[in-house]
Amino acid sequence: MNQKYSFSTFCFSLFFVFTSCCDKESCQNKKNSHEPEQQSTINTSNAEASVIRQSLVRINSTIQVWSASQPWDKSAPKKRRALGALLQGNRVLTTAEMAADATYIELENADNTRIIPAKVTAIDYEANLALLEPDNGDTDSFFKDLKPLGLGSAAKIGDRVDVWQLEDNGMPIVTDAVIQSVDIVSSFANGHFFLTYEAKGSMQSASNSFTVPVIRNGKLLGLLSSYDSKDQIVDIIAPEIIQAFIADTSDGDYVGFPSLGIGITSTVDPSFRDWLKLSDDLGGLYVTKIRKDSAAQKAGLEKGDVIININDKAIGRRGYYSDEQYGRLYWSHLIRGSLKQGDSVELTILRGGEQKQLTATLSRPEEPLVARDTYDQAPLYLLKGGLIFQELTATYLKAFGKEWQSKAPLNLLDIMMTPEDYEQDRNKIVFLSAVIPTPATTGYERLRNFIINKVNGHTVADISSLIEAFKQAGADGLHTIEFAEGPPRTIYLDAQISDTVDAELLKRGIPALTRE
Amino acid sequence: MINTLMRSLPLKMAFLLLLTLQTAGAQQTASNPLAPLQPSSAASLPQETYRSVVRIEVATQVPNYREPWKAGRFSGGIGTGFLIGPNLFLTNAHVVSNARRLLITMHGAARKHPAKILHIAHDCDLALLEVDDFTPFMGLHHFQIGGVPKLESQVRVIGYPVGGNRISVTRGVVSRIDFNTYSHSRSDQHLVVQIDAAINPGNSGGPVLQDGKVVGVAFQGLRSADNTGYMIPTPVVRRFLTDIKDGSYDKYVDLGISDFPMFNPAMQKKFGLTPTSPGVLVAAVTPDGPCDGVLQKDDILTAINSNAVDAAGNILIEGEKVNMNEIVERKFSGDQVTLSVIRDGKAMDVTCTLKPFPPSQMYAVQYDVKPRYTSFAGLVLQPLDRNLYSAQNLTNTRVRRLFTHYLDEAIFKEREDIVILTRVLSDPINTHLSGHVGTAIESINGVKVSSLKHAHDLLHPEELPEFFTIRCEGIERPIIIPGDKAEDASQRTQSSYGITSPANLEH
Repeated sequence: MNQKYSFSTFCFSLFFVFTSCCDKESCQNKKNSHEPEQQSTINTSNAEASVIRQSLVRINSTIQVWSASQPWDKSAPKKRRALGALLQGNRVLTTAEMAADATYIELENADNTRIIPAKVTAIDYEANLALLEPDNGDTDSFFKDLKPLGLGSAAKIGDRVDVWQLEDNGMPIVTDAVIQSVDIVSSFANGHFFLTYEAKGSMQSASNSFTVPVIRNGKLLGLLSSYDSKDQIVDIIAPEIIQAFIADTSDGDYVGFPSLGIGITSTVDPSFRDWLKLSDDLGGLYVTKIRKDSAAQKAGLEKGDVIININDKAIGRRGYYSDEQYGRLYWSHLIRGSLKQGDSVELTILRGGEQKQLTATLSRPEEPLVARDTYDQAPLYLLKGGLIFQELTATYLKAFGKEWQSKAPLNLLDIMMTPEDYEQDRNKIVFLSAVIPTPATTGYERLRNFIINKVNGHTVADISSLIEAFKQAGADGLHTIEFAEGPPRTIYLDAQISDTVDAELLKRGIPALTRE
Repeated sequence: MINTLMRSLPLKMAFLLLLTLQTAGAQQTASNPLAPLQPSSAASLPQETYRSVVRIEVATQVPNYREPWKAGRFSGGIGTGFLIGPNLFLTNAHVVSNARRLLITMHGAARKHPAKILHIAHDCDLALLEVDDFTPFMGLHHFQIGGVPKLESQVRVIGYPVGGNRISVTRGVVSRIDFNTYSHSRSDQHLVVQIDAAINPGNSGGPVLQDGKVVGVAFQGLRSADNTGYMIPTPVVRRFLTDIKDGSYDKYVDLGISDFPMFNPAMQKKFGLTPTSPGVLVAAVTPDGPCDGVLQKDDILTAINSNAVDAAGNILIEGEKVNMNEIVERKFSGDQVTLSVIRDGKAMDVTCTLKPFPPSQMYAVQYDVKPRYTSFAGLVLQPLDRNLYSAQNLTNTRVRRLFTHYLDEAIFKEREDIVILTRVLSDPINTHLSGHVGTAIESINGVKVSSLKHAHDLLHPEELPEFFTIRCEGIERPIIIPGDKAEDASQRTQSSYGITSPANLEH
């Protein structure tokens, strides 16, 4: 919940997609006109360059997401290509965007002479990082003339970096870029913000690339997560985040970045500050949300508290603190970018005009009622007599399109906004997502988006309990389905007819009636 | 998409240019030649009767719900009306809504006669006008109100649609008789007759004739389809004329229930019914509505006033299957209806006394009223209703929920108004507010807000608090306005944003 609201729209528009529709000729021209310039600006010598080229691995991945309306189906597959960085131990680092929902990933050398299938060994959707390893294949010969890259250390504003791309023919394109600012940015999973370098550099379309490595002093500085061609700004996932990710993977059990589990707002408004009794020498962040069972809640933080210091760093009115390395940085970096799960954090807060000291032990937040990031997770469903029941996820709501926040069903959106009103007796929200017209569902065709309270008298806490509840129909041979709202509040399903329908649906090609 | 068939007036004034845009689509399609009357038809009208179909020229002032202190938009339009009695011209409510000036012109004459509204019924889109001086209209034919035309029978539509200034006549066939939405109020459904005559903007309020009698009033069309015109059938017209006999219009009444069709075999089995049994399921009863305490959820409604209700909620009237509400549609406030139900397997008769249900006005577009609002230290507060909902882009899910469930969750019992913070006019005192605009005000200084007036009173107390603490629904961080600085901020924002009146609490 470490959210920085001002960025949420910014990051949406900047997916780094070099489309394949660029015609060869114009690309060629561009390349030629840029070549003399590049020679003079490359921050790497020719000898170094040939070494780095040996550390680049092409990644071809096939991505397939599940259908929201027919949860037993997958949507049409999409292909993505990127350039990864080879690390020690035959591991290839790329962004999570390349590996999330992937059905097949392969690694290809720069010369296009060798290909090997790969698997994901660790993935962090929040930080947008993934580590790949070869999966069954001639590993030795694939890596025989390749050289792993070392991990670089933190850079500073003004440093020059090289962005590496490969042409289809294997020739490198190296773009010089200058780090202009450092900020906290969300590059993949919505609402998760991590340290990111923003560098100025004029890139060009090369081979289709979702992400490419950024090199400084012969070492991997970071991965490019997006490129804004209008402003010519490259977003680079910072080395600290990559190091923490790699360190977390070392024991084979990936934990993820820690979180405090709060929502905040600024304290710039002078009237609001007077009301809070915040003196002018203090900054402060007003706590608006505390996630259930989060580190913040366990530490005793409450809604309405004002956070003044985090680990002795004074937090400003808009949430910025002074970082030794980077200058003004957003507070969430103190938690997510600098610490790991189990570390403790000292919080100085103001409550009712008085300062207090709290200690929080950082943790991973538990999955919320409405799951946010359901990458690589198939939607859970039950098909009964033609009624389609699903567990509600943010992915389902987002399937309503770009304007999902106004297009998605109102009652389901409300749960996502205020889950605390719905958590009683529930692990997840189970709802009727649609109705297939069958003999069992006559008259119900138009029902959809109803939240399920009970089936056959049993409270429905998730898909598993729904499946359990459907096992025993009432004595009259009817299933009773109760909705949280209506109308109608209750519908009935003939157990015998719906069983027949279910058998028929399987014959007609639906692969399975449930996924739990 | 249903649209009303009123024609905007091509006034040559710069600030009315928007209007011509509104009708651009209509202008393109307006090329119907005048359909000649067939002399062989037994029902042919003498030319003289055309003179009883009048052109109504309207100048309107449409209130501004975005900036409610403003005078609103001046515009106008053209519609049709017809004489049904001594100085009684029937037309559509939407033709004369928000009118500031009404002029009536007789067919074939140049003189414009000033007119005024006698009665207006927004829920069924009908209005009755009178001219200041009826003398020129003396001796003209008065149209008789007929019955509901049969399917496939021919009708004529007379009016002043786009494409010319003189009267236009078209013919068509009755294609459908159904319950449908009246787009003028957007929240009302009544009987509607669909005809395939080419009726166009400007036809609104014109008579639809069969055998020399009026069988309907042309009133709306369908944007997505050609040759589908809709008319208000005579049961609705008669009801309107009966309702106003006591000198005022009292609005429609309804049962206040939602029904669910009894099509599903399991549903039928549960309630002990067979596929041929009559009866529709009572799925919900509106709290405090006419049927609250009379009907219950899960009753099977089998008959209304001895008219059998089928599984889809339809009844048979005059040989036509229509929605069961058609019985109630023809009733008035205070009338009783007998409902036959099966409750817990037992058949019984219950009686419902029909009454108006004011909270349902939340969903009806309001006309001829000044928008209510109050302002305080640059904050503009307005009550939620259909007009505000359409004018402001209210996307907040809590606000949308309050709007959607205002009746069925009985929110109206505690909150006469849902008060929305619609605007923050920048002033040093409020410039750092964010995310509060477009949300519902929950409480002021700890007191739950029940209406706009209540909010206004809480913001203007006799004794100034140290801080005004205003909490918005779904937002944790309150709006804080220092008590001693509020009045100055109010004065400043009023003068710099041109708010001539700080509040309008009454319609």
